[in-house]
Amino acid sequence: MKDKGLTFIVGRPWHAVQWLWGGVIFAAVAAILAWSGRDLNLSLAELMKGLPWIGDFILRMFPPNWGFLDRLVQPVMETIQLAIWGTLFAVLLALPLCFVAARNLTPSLLMFHAARQVFNLARGINELIFALIFVAAVGLGPFAGVLALTVHGAGMLGKFFAEAIEEVDPGPVEALRATGASPLQVIVFAVLPQALPAWIAATLYRLEVNLRAATILGMVGAGGIGFELYSSLKLFQYEDTATCVIVILVMVMSADYVSSRLRARILAR
Amino acid sequence: MIEVHGLSKRYGDLVALVDVSLQVGAGEMLVVLGPSGAGKSTLLRCINRLVEPSGGEVRVGGESAPSSRADLRRLRSQVGMIFQDHNLVPRLSVLKNVLAGRLSRMPLWLSLLQLFRAEDMRIALDCLRRVELEERAWSRADRLSGGQQQRVGIARALAQQPGAILADEPVASLDPNSARLVLGDLKRASRELGIAVLCNLHQVGYAMEFADRIVGIHAGRVVFEGTPDALDDRALGRIYPGRSGKSPQEAASEEVSPITEQMS
Repeated sequence: MKDKGLTFIVGRPWHAVQWLWGGVIFAAVAAILAWSGRDLNLSLAELMKGLPWIGDFILRMFPPNWGFLDRLVQPVMETIQLAIWGTLFAVLLALPLCFVAARNLTPSLLMFHAARQVFNLARGINELIFALIFVAAVGLGPFAGVLALTVHGAGMLGKFFAEAIEEVDPGPVEALRATGASPLQVIVFAVLPQALPAWIAATLYRLEVNLRAATILGMVGAGGIGFELYSSLKLFQYEDTATCVIVILVMVMSADYVSSRLRARILAR
Repeated sequence: MIEVHGLSKRYGDLVALVDVSLQVGAGEMLVVLGPSGAGKSTLLRCINRLVEPSGGEVRVGGESAPSSRADLRRLRSQVGMIFQDHNLVPRLSVLKNVLAGRLSRMPLWLSLLQLFRAEDMRIALDCLRRVELEERAWSRADRLSGGQQQRVGIARALAQQPGAILADEPVASLDPNSARLVLGDLKRASRELGIAVLCNLHQVGYAMEFADRIVGIHAGRVVFEGTPDALDDRALGRIYPGRSGKSPQEAASEEVSPITEQMS
C-alpha cells in the first residue's frame, strides 16, 4: 500500500443505504429550491438595471432634514409609550396562563396543550396583521397598536415563561412539597424565585422587540413613528425619510444595547 | 414514632422494597445502611408519601394512610425531610428557606403576601441558632458552603417542629468535617427535641459513629438490624455482598433482584 493520496472524511464512512438516503435528500432539497425560486422572478440583470434608481433614492435622502427632528419628538415618545404598555399588558395576559402551559405544573395534559396552542396562535400572527384587525375594531390610533403588541407579545412571553418554569430545579420543589406546603405556596416559594430572572430577561427582550415593532405600526395607522416615515415617503420628502430612519436606528440600537446588558446582568445573578 | 410494617414497593416489574418493617422511637436516630440502589431513598419517600407504597403499612405518630389531600399535607407537615443536595431554594435568603418549613402552619394569604408572624420568625431563628447559622440569616442560600447549606436544610426541617425527620444521604456530597458537623447537628436535635430520625447513609463509618441503631438493606430487603456494636463483618457482607472477607457460598446464596430507585 502506498503512503499517498487524500482521504475525505465528513463524519463516519457511508454504506450503500446511506448513500441512497443522501441522494434522496439531495434531490429533495434541489426540488424544493427549484420550486420556490420559480415564481420569484429572480434576476441579476434586473437588479443591475435597478441599481441606479436605488443610488438615486439614497442620494435624494441627503442631506437628512434635521429640521424635521422637531416634528419627530412626539412620535418617538408615542413609539416608546406603545412599546411599554404593549409589554405590560402582554405580561399580564401571559402570567395566569403560563403555569398551565408548563409541563411540570399543569393540572392536566389537555389544559397544557390548549394553553400552548393559544400561545402559538397569538405568536403565529404578525403584529402588523393584529394592528390591521384592531384598527378596524377600535379605530385608528396608538390604542390599536397597544392591543396588537399585547396579543402577539402575550403569545411569545407565555411560551418563554412556561419554558422557564419547566427548567426550574425540581429538588427545591420536592423539598417544599415534603414540608406539607400547599401547591400555591410551592409555586410562590420554590418555582417563582427560580424562574424570575428568566422571566425578567424575557420581558426586557419583549420590550426591545416591541420598540422595533412599534416603529412600523404607524404604517397601518396604529400609532408611533411609522406614520411619519410612511407619509414622508408618500410625499417624496426623502430628506425627512432619512431623518426618520436615523432616529429609528438610534432608538432601536440603544434599546438593544441597554436591554442586552441588563439581561446579561440579571441572568448572571 | 415511625412504624413501618411489611412495606413493599414495585415500579412495574421492578421490585424496590420487599416486606420492610422497622420502628424508630422518639429521640432515636436510626441509620439505614445499604449500597446505592438498595431502595433506601424509596423507603424514605414512602414514609412521607412522596412515593405511594404498593403494600404494607406506614404510621407516623400513630396516623396511617392519609385519605385526603389535606390529610396528606398534615402528615407531611409532621415529617421533616433532608435531602442529599439540600434542595434549598438558591436565590432566597437563608431565613426564608427556613421559614419555608413553617408554610404548612401559616395562613395561606399571609404567606403569599410574604408576611410572616412573630411566632414563625422566632421559631425559624431559633432553628437557625441550633445549627449555629443565625448570623447568616440574611445571606442568599447559594452563597453558603455545601455543609452550611445542609445545616440550613436541617433548620428548615426543624422549623416544621416535626415528630420525625427523614434524611436521605444528607452527607453524601460533603467533606468529612462538614459531614460530622451535619450528622452531629442532626443527632443533637433528635436527642434534645425527641425527634425520631431515619437517616440513609452509605458510609459505614458514619453509621457506627452516629447511629443509635442500624438497619441494613440490600436489594430492597432488610438484611440486618441491631446496634452499631452488632454490625460485624458477617453483617456487612449481607448488606454489601461482594466485599472482601466473604465466603463464595454466601455470595452464591445472595438473592439478586432488579432494583431501581426513583430519583426525583
